[in-house]
Amino acid sequence: MAERLSNREGIKGMANPTRYGIERVAYWLQRLSGLGLLAYLIGHIYETSSIVDGRVAWEKMLELTQTPQGHIILTIVIGMCVYHTANGVRVMLGHGGVGVGRPGQPEYPYKAASLNYKQRLCIWVSIALAALAMMYGAAVLFGD
Amino acid sequence: MKIHYGTALGAVALVAVHILFRMTQKFSDSLQYQNVIANYHFLPYALMLEVVLVLLSVHGFNGLRVILLELKQGVAYERAINYGSIAAMVALVAYGSRTILMAGMGMS
Repeated sequence: MAERLSNREGIKGMANPTRYGIERVAYWLQRLSGLGLLAYLIGHIYETSSIVDGRVAWEKMLELTQTPQGHIILTIVIGMCVYHTANGVRVMLGHGGVGVGRPGQPEYPYKAASLNYKQRLCIWVSIALAALAMMYGAAVLFGD
Repeated sequence: MKIHYGTALGAVALVAVHILFRMTQKFSDSLQYQNVIANYHFLPYALMLEVVLVLLSVHGFNGLRVILLELKQGVAYERAINYGSIAAMVALVAYGSRTILMAGMGMS
């Protein structure tokens, strides 16, 4: 029992992106971006609800959100959204058996066929797309 | 997983339309009161917002449910997480729908 509990890392284990390579980082970023996007969704729904209180309430809310800090948050949201989408498509395709290689006899050094260069490339492409989208988003938001 | 993937694909397509709508004019202009109200008065767009709201709420809270179930297991805990996620989903959809309905019907 004590040994079983000592192996349980709980939230610390989930929050640790290291030890298992880029795939683990991708999993960690997917979870983190998902939580961030859910928080943004709730905030966005609350923010837009001010429109029912009339023009003054709406403009007051815009004064609060259309600031450099607000634009930085929106830029991060754009990055999270693009990464979550691109990496999510990779995961979905992998779940369907696309790009995960053929099953075969395990041979030394026992590298998993599913963690191949295609998957790794897709993770890096997802990160790059998120970075590009953030740059574009920042240019639109701050260039306004 | 089918619900999670289905809502994800639907949301990606519709959120893209939602963002493109903002880009039909200057970003700050698109947020002007009369423009936002006009969006809500345009029925197809208001319906799309409602669908986006449902898709994202289901996807978001189902994702949170999966994370929380991965963290800890147990009958009572899992039941609380499952029902809690559904309740949060319904509450968010109800609150968002209120905005869409009231703004769309000119009750602001």
